[in-house]
Amino acid sequence: MPEWVQPVVEYMAREGLKETARIAVISVVGSALVGVVLGTLLTIRFWPLRSMIRLYIEVWRGLPIIVTIFLIFFALPSVGIRFSPYLAAAIGLVLWGSAQVAEATRGAVESIPREQHQAASALGFGWVGRHAFVILPQALRRLLPPMVSLLAGVIQNTTLASIIGASEVLATGTQSIERLQLSSGNSHSFAIYAGIMAAFFAISFPLTRLAVYLERRLV
Amino acid sequence: MSVLAAFDWSFIWEQRSELAHGLVKTLEVSAIGIAGAFAIGVALGAARAHRIPVVSQLAAVYVEVIRNTPILVQIFLLFYGLPQLTPYLRFEPFTTAWLAVMIWGGAFNTENYRAGFGAVPYRYREASLALGFTPLRTFFSVTLPIGSRIALPSSINTYISVLKNTALMTAIGFPELTNVARSIAAVTFRDAEMIVVIAIVYLAVVWSLSIAIRFVERRLALPEEA
Repeated sequence: MPEWVQPVVEYMAREGLKETARIAVISVVGSALVGVVLGTLLTIRFWPLRSMIRLYIEVWRGLPIIVTIFLIFFALPSVGIRFSPYLAAAIGLVLWGSAQVAEATRGAVESIPREQHQAASALGFGWVGRHAFVILPQALRRLLPPMVSLLAGVIQNTTLASIIGASEVLATGTQSIERLQLSSGNSHSFAIYAGIMAAFFAISFPLTRLAVYLERRLV
Repeated sequence: MSVLAAFDWSFIWEQRSELAHGLVKTLEVSAIGIAGAFAIGVALGAARAHRIPVVSQLAAVYVEVIRNTPILVQIFLLFYGLPQLTPYLRFEPFTTAWLAVMIWGGAFNTENYRAGFGAVPYRYREASLALGFTPLRTFFSVTLPIGSRIALPSSINTYISVLKNTALMTAIGFPELTNVARSIAAVTFRDAEMIVVIAIVYLAVVWSLSIAIRFVERRLALPEEA
């Protein structure tokens, strides 16, 4: 292996990977929590609530994710709300991801037979208890494949954080390319970007295969 | 809402022609990308569905690589990586822009059309062959018209995503809508105004496309099988 490789890989793993992981964890956990709650609320037949959640879903699904991230990073400071680049990116991804999860949750919750609701009510569960302990655990089976796909999608989209200056994997790769260009005159940009692609593929491919497998097994 | 109240709307109005130019660039790149993604999807989707040796396997690799890697890295590899490999592969930002979304959309569309063609009942093709149609004729007269209608909803979602992905070209400095808005903000410090305005434009485009599509979908939907 050429000698330029090791320091570059070390730098990207030490600096970039940490930031990528941080963004991915916040985004996935946030998307799952917000999405499941909104998706469950979406099954309530109360139109003001419904149309508000619908609007939320359609807005964050309709916007390009980078525009959502720009909204948080560049527009919110004008009302005094400031986030660091990685947090702005994570929040943008949560808005996008939770819209996806909400839609999937609605479908999953509505697929649970009415008798389950009635039985839970008969046992004295209120709305919250009924959904938390009876309906959602069953809906989870159906929710698992889209959640795994979301995980793959979120991990890939963490790279957008580099555009607003978070030093995640792609940004550290670009920095390494610039440094190599200055120090040796050869940027190795093809090798570095291809390497980043390979790394993402190694994470994402098993996840998308798993989603397909779960889809076949569970639904 | 206090964000909107503080807005200088006359400033936004002054930027309208520049923003319109950006929108035209966005739509141009999207149109080329969508046309290419359609062609790639039909050709490779057919190869996948009919298991044409070699082509089918290569198409499968192409689909998995594109779907499992971030599109932003694909864009950077095209724009910054390839010229380092060989100077002949140096592309203009415009070329990179439509090429990147075309390659990306083509991969997703291959999957859409593979599923669409695969869902055409075998007996239709059998009937066509029995009537003396050649396999190629069978594809164009039977599998393609029925299969594309099955693939229509999912392929249209892919086309909308292609349009949204053109916003990433701001990262290579191609002056589409998002990039134009950022450039105006860079010299006027009106970050909030600019980004909110283009967000509204994107939603207007994407939503009207989705509504138009739902209409077309209903017109073209296959009748329920008896």
